[in-house]
Amino acid sequence: MERMPQEKKLEYLLRSSKIVAAGFLGDDPRSPEQIIETDLTALMHLGYTVEQVAERMQELTVLAIPKLGNPVQASGRLQICSEDYKGEIICPWPHPVRLAKRVTTARRLDTAESIRWSDLNIHMIAEHGFFEGIGSAFRVEPAVLVRVIFEDFAGPV
Amino acid sequence: MGSVALAVMIVSSIAAGLALVLVVADRFIANYGECTITINDERKLNVQGGKNVLSALTEEKLFIPSACGGRGTCGYCKVKATEGAGPILPTETPFLTPEEIEKNVRLSCQIKIRNDLKIEIPEELLAVREFEGVCAEITDLTYDTKLFHFELQDPPTIDFVPGQYIQLLCPKYKGNREEVYRAYSIASDPAENTTLDLVIRRAPNGICTTWCFEYLKAGDAVRFNGPYGEFRLSETDAPMVWVAGGSGMAPFVALLHQMRNENIARSTTYFFGGNKAKDMFFIDLMRQFEKDVPNFRFVPVVVAPDAGEQWDGERGLVTEALEREGGDLSGHEGYLCGSPGMIDASIKGLKQLGMTEERIFYDKFA
Repeated sequence: MERMPQEKKLEYLLRSSKIVAAGFLGDDPRSPEQIIETDLTALMHLGYTVEQVAERMQELTVLAIPKLGNPVQASGRLQICSEDYKGEIICPWPHPVRLAKRVTTARRLDTAESIRWSDLNIHMIAEHGFFEGIGSAFRVEPAVLVRVIFEDFAGPV
Repeated sequence: MGSVALAVMIVSSIAAGLALVLVVADRFIANYGECTITINDERKLNVQGGKNVLSALTEEKLFIPSACGGRGTCGYCKVKATEGAGPILPTETPFLTPEEIEKNVRLSCQIKIRNDLKIEIPEELLAVREFEGVCAEITDLTYDTKLFHFELQDPPTIDFVPGQYIQLLCPKYKGNREEVYRAYSIASDPAENTTLDLVIRRAPNGICTTWCFEYLKAGDAVRFNGPYGEFRLSETDAPMVWVAGGSGMAPFVALLHQMRNENIARSTTYFFGGNKAKDMFFIDLMRQFEKDVPNFRFVPVVVAPDAGEQWDGERGLVTEALEREGGDLSGHEGYLCGSPGMIDASIKGLKQLGMTEERIFYDKFA
């Protein structure tokens, strides 16, 4: 089906380096719609919704913020660290969302697996189902995310 | 089902075709001629119609802050358009409050110049200039923070109020296909107005900091515009508490130069925080300011020095050190520069010590 002009404009912006260096799509040749659809399907197979993962990411971020860049134990097996950088970042979708440039890293102490996300990642996952393209510096791989942030995750259903 | 899909495709194609025709016609056939932009009922600019106000102003060396380069996605480039701007576009409304709409505030990048129009912009933006210079020296301050020293060429001097910032032009480089501007506080002595210092901390995947750290070399040309911002010393004699972390140090260096140059002797305690001893910098410079600026005291604070790191100073979060200092701060003023988390925690701490919110000034890394 013919893509809407808004979709083409969004893809142009996501591939451009207007907002982040090298854009949001990395070297992923798929359209944003295809990336979103694939990731949402993967997340569904993992047994979670975007609301659940975004809420957990936000919960962990909020836990780490008061430590001002120092690690904090979210539990016996999960360590979180949140760092702020100068400036604000805007959402590439056409709506007025500006967020702090904050990067949160979650690390499982039992498996040593880790994943990082920005406040913008949380917003884009919650509002747009967008985990970024493969090869993007802030791509959040759904399977890794679920394994790290949900300690009771037992594998795909 | 197939016929429905075909019908949708045909209608979509016709709509897309018509939109394309309109765009092409507007670009190549429509001629709006020369139009006049009247700014603040004083200055008149004659510009070629057809472009947007932000671009037209930039071409005339009038700089409105913008983070997205005029794509209508950041919402920063607001001006008041009092005549001739046409109706508000759907692309603008998400960025405007009802009060702003009532006052004819618009996004300058979304106003297409089709006729004469009148706009109002803050007076201080009229003083903003574009500067060209050379990056004369780059100094490592920590593992992720550098001091960039620029020598100005055209114009050869800059006048700024300590606490203000500039917008540095990040050119195209591998991985960055478009020019963008990013804001950095000025960290230099206002009396040495032929040079400019910036303290920049590398941000993961940051467009401009990646360029600064990986591509910019001593001897390279740089371009920036400014100065901008309202963060500055008040004109009172109130004692001050300053709190900063990381590159939030920058404006305070400029303020200390100002205090030394102007013999300002306000009681000032400056808490500067880092996570490790390796995050600290300008310690010697601050100790020198303690000698040169009357009633200035510098309190570096480290959360948790690594094993083997030498650290004899205060420990804990910078906000904890502030609370330990205690006392009644109801007559003090607070000046803060750093991350949103640090600013919010500091405001809370200062208020608990009696400081009222209107006496707290901050530059929230934005």
